[in-house]
Amino acid sequence: MRPSLSSLYQAVELRSAIPPLLIGERTNANGSKLFRERLLADDFAGCLQIGLEQEANGAQVLDLCAAYAGRDELRDMCELVSRFARSVKIPLMIDSTTPEVIEACLKLYPGRCVVNSVNLEDGGRTARRVFGLIRKYGAAVVALTIGEQGMAMTAEDKVALARRLHGLAVDTCGLRPSDLLFDALTFTVGAGDETLRSAAVQTLRAIREIKASLPGVGTVLGLSNISFGLAPASRRILNSVFLHEAVEAGLDAAIVDAGKIVPLARISEREREVCLDLLYDRGGEGEGPGPLPRFIEYFKGAAPAAQEAVAGAGAGRFEGAERAVSRQVVEGVREGLEDNLAILVRRLAPLAVINQILVPAMRQVGELFGRGELLLPFVLQSAEVMKRAVAWLEPLLSREEASQRTRVLLATVQGDVHDIGKNLVEIIFSNNGYEVVNIGIKVPAETIIAKARECGADVIGLSGLLVKSALIMRENLAQFREAGLRQPVLLGGAALTPRFVAESCVPSYDAPVVYCADAFAGLAALRAHEAGSLTSTVWRAAAQATAVRPSARGGEVQRGVPVPEPPFYGCRHVTEIDVAEVLPYVNIEALFRGRWGYRRAKLSAEEYEALLEGTVRPLYRELSRRAVEEGLVQPRVAYGYYRCYSAGDALCVVDGGKEYRFPFPRQAAAPHLCIADYFRSEAEGGDVAGFFVVTTGEALDREAHALYGADRYRDYLMTHGFGVEVTDALAEYWHARMRRELGIAGSEPADLNGYVTQGYQGSRFGFGYPACPELEAHRPVFELLRPERIGVTLSETLQMVPEQTTSAIVAHHPQAKYFAV
Amino acid sequence: MKMICTNCGYVYDPAEGDPMGGVEAGVAFEALPEGWVCPLCYAGPAAFDAYG
Repeated sequence: MRPSLSSLYQAVELRSAIPPLLIGERTNANGSKLFRERLLADDFAGCLQIGLEQEANGAQVLDLCAAYAGRDELRDMCELVSRFARSVKIPLMIDSTTPEVIEACLKLYPGRCVVNSVNLEDGGRTARRVFGLIRKYGAAVVALTIGEQGMAMTAEDKVALARRLHGLAVDTCGLRPSDLLFDALTFTVGAGDETLRSAAVQTLRAIREIKASLPGVGTVLGLSNISFGLAPASRRILNSVFLHEAVEAGLDAAIVDAGKIVPLARISEREREVCLDLLYDRGGEGEGPGPLPRFIEYFKGAAPAAQEAVAGAGAGRFEGAERAVSRQVVEGVREGLEDNLAILVRRLAPLAVINQILVPAMRQVGELFGRGELLLPFVLQSAEVMKRAVAWLEPLLSREEASQRTRVLLATVQGDVHDIGKNLVEIIFSNNGYEVVNIGIKVPAETIIAKARECGADVIGLSGLLVKSALIMRENLAQFREAGLRQPVLLGGAALTPRFVAESCVPSYDAPVVYCADAFAGLAALRAHEAGSLTSTVWRAAAQATAVRPSARGGEVQRGVPVPEPPFYGCRHVTEIDVAEVLPYVNIEALFRGRWGYRRAKLSAEEYEALLEGTVRPLYRELSRRAVEEGLVQPRVAYGYYRCYSAGDALCVVDGGKEYRFPFPRQAAAPHLCIADYFRSEAEGGDVAGFFVVTTGEALDREAHALYGADRYRDYLMTHGFGVEVTDALAEYWHARMRRELGIAGSEPADLNGYVTQGYQGSRFGFGYPACPELEAHRPVFELLRPERIGVTLSETLQMVPEQTTSAIVAHHPQAKYFAV
Repeated sequence: MKMICTNCGYVYDPAEGDPMGGVEAGVAFEALPEGWVCPLCYAGPAAFDAYG
């Protein structure tokens, strides 16, 4: 087997097929100011970000160093290594010379890492100890050519030290030669120091000699030392040329800023000559300036390739800006995006950048999502990068080019205020090169028709969450036909099924009507439309059995269940609610996997746990903290208990001498359930019903919309999803309290799962949900509870405002459980 | 393998089946009948995710 390093996720061969192996250097407290600042601020997440950027920029291994005066290196490294091990896919290089730190990291790291480094400064005492650890934990190690007299300057001294280190490691400590990577260390050729004029030559010679005389060992080099003291742009060119020479000499790995390596092909012949003269100390013998002044003089004029090299930061290793931009979109990395685009538009027309690079990259994102290999939050991060790229390119497009795109009109249908689904579709469509006209929520058919004509929409997309919205869509289509519209219509929303669309919607319209399960299904439909192959959704009834509906629990609804005594009749309003008491009721699984889209999908249980621990739970903790400390969640409740009796399919509620009638639908098929059945009739002596309206206020909504407006798609989804689930948690929390007040809380669930399966007595049925889809019930509910007093109002379409509000009728009957009509 | 409904958190355990949906114990998630939905929230099988 070839000597390799590995992380939790992948193995990397130490002798890369295309040398050198690139080791990212920016996660080093001594080498990167940014990393140091974040470390000093205890911003470990920020430190991790730098590592992830190095990885995105082409690093294959990551050097991690937290040794900094005044810091607790052991603590810092343990913290960093655990975080990096979970989130960074490439293996780590543990950069420390302290044996205690090294051992702690080796224990923590779930793979084969390499330690950087040992030397012979103290005659080999520490090296011997570290070699022992390397052997014990099966790691690899970098050995520096530093002896009792300091860093070796000549090739001979470097090689002699390497031999001594090799002897100690292999003969004394039992390591394999392949466990060793020798760093022949280089000094700068840029400082004008006469004794260092041959620094590059000495290092290159040492690399050749070590490879020749110590079979099986590897070599590594900290590249950037060679150019200390020179101007940044010229440094990148010199570093890149030197790297090429070192690889020729036998270098296996280089510690570099991976994003700043310039491909040799992009360095002009002349630039290369100037660099080689300096590296090999050529042409300084006669009259005139030596190689260093000539180098400085040459690059003072800021040569083109050097300029490009600056712009090419983040361009990745030996790859064009094309690949780099494509990767940035797929991986959702923003840093350096504009710089790469600036390079691209010199070679390609802006429209070609969009069509040939960005759109295919987003298409790849869609494919990865479709295969379950990319989760929704990451798709949104990709879309954020895409949005930025297109925004940067847009001013460069001609008007004609800009208007060539297919235009899609999007609306949430009349009576429905839910916009997250529609907005996600807008994000995906617009970032796949389509022009989207998003005309908002609660849009009547007349307005959709008028806007479609006005903006010349090529395709219309309708969205809606409510059960009723499916019926509205069907009505809309009939109106569209009446008005003579001919655009294809895409339908999406939680309450829709392909069968309903095929059987009820398609016949109402004369152009294709297509059911879209998610935004990417919509995207596929748009592409089919452009290809002229879009057809209506079909439902093959023969092939698919009718949906299995869960049967009722316990069959016939029992009569004569005792009626509990409520603590009061009428309504009350509660505004003093501790958010911290509500949070434990949040359905974490539904939030993480459902609302947020952090599914396990194709990950192993361990990888999923790493994702949760590294990304998802910290996000939840932060939102929870802000919910409590910053008032992001403001729970308020209006609730009450009322005398009532059932009358057929209706429930009559009595309050203040007035009767309120709630007609409930009954299931058409067995077991023919209806909410009214859970309450006693007048003849049976009447009953008690509870109602509540709970809200978590407007702050979360406001924040979510601001994030959407700022193109922070992922955070938008996170904030919105958090709001939905916290509101549901408040409903759960309050329902539990009402059970206690009714004295029916005898068998409460032991854990959250018990709430999911309604392991308590009774049920709550939300208005607008499957058991009672009609929102008409909100009129009497508002008369009974007066939720205006807690800041909740009813829209003209009977939906509650703010959005993060929910309502329910509470039934105490032990057989009452969720069902759908 | 157990599967969890990403909409409501219900867990389908093949060892238990889904008595409410008429699914006997021992039926793998992949082998659930056509048209099967979450017994609690009616989400389809596509809404389910690997659990554990």
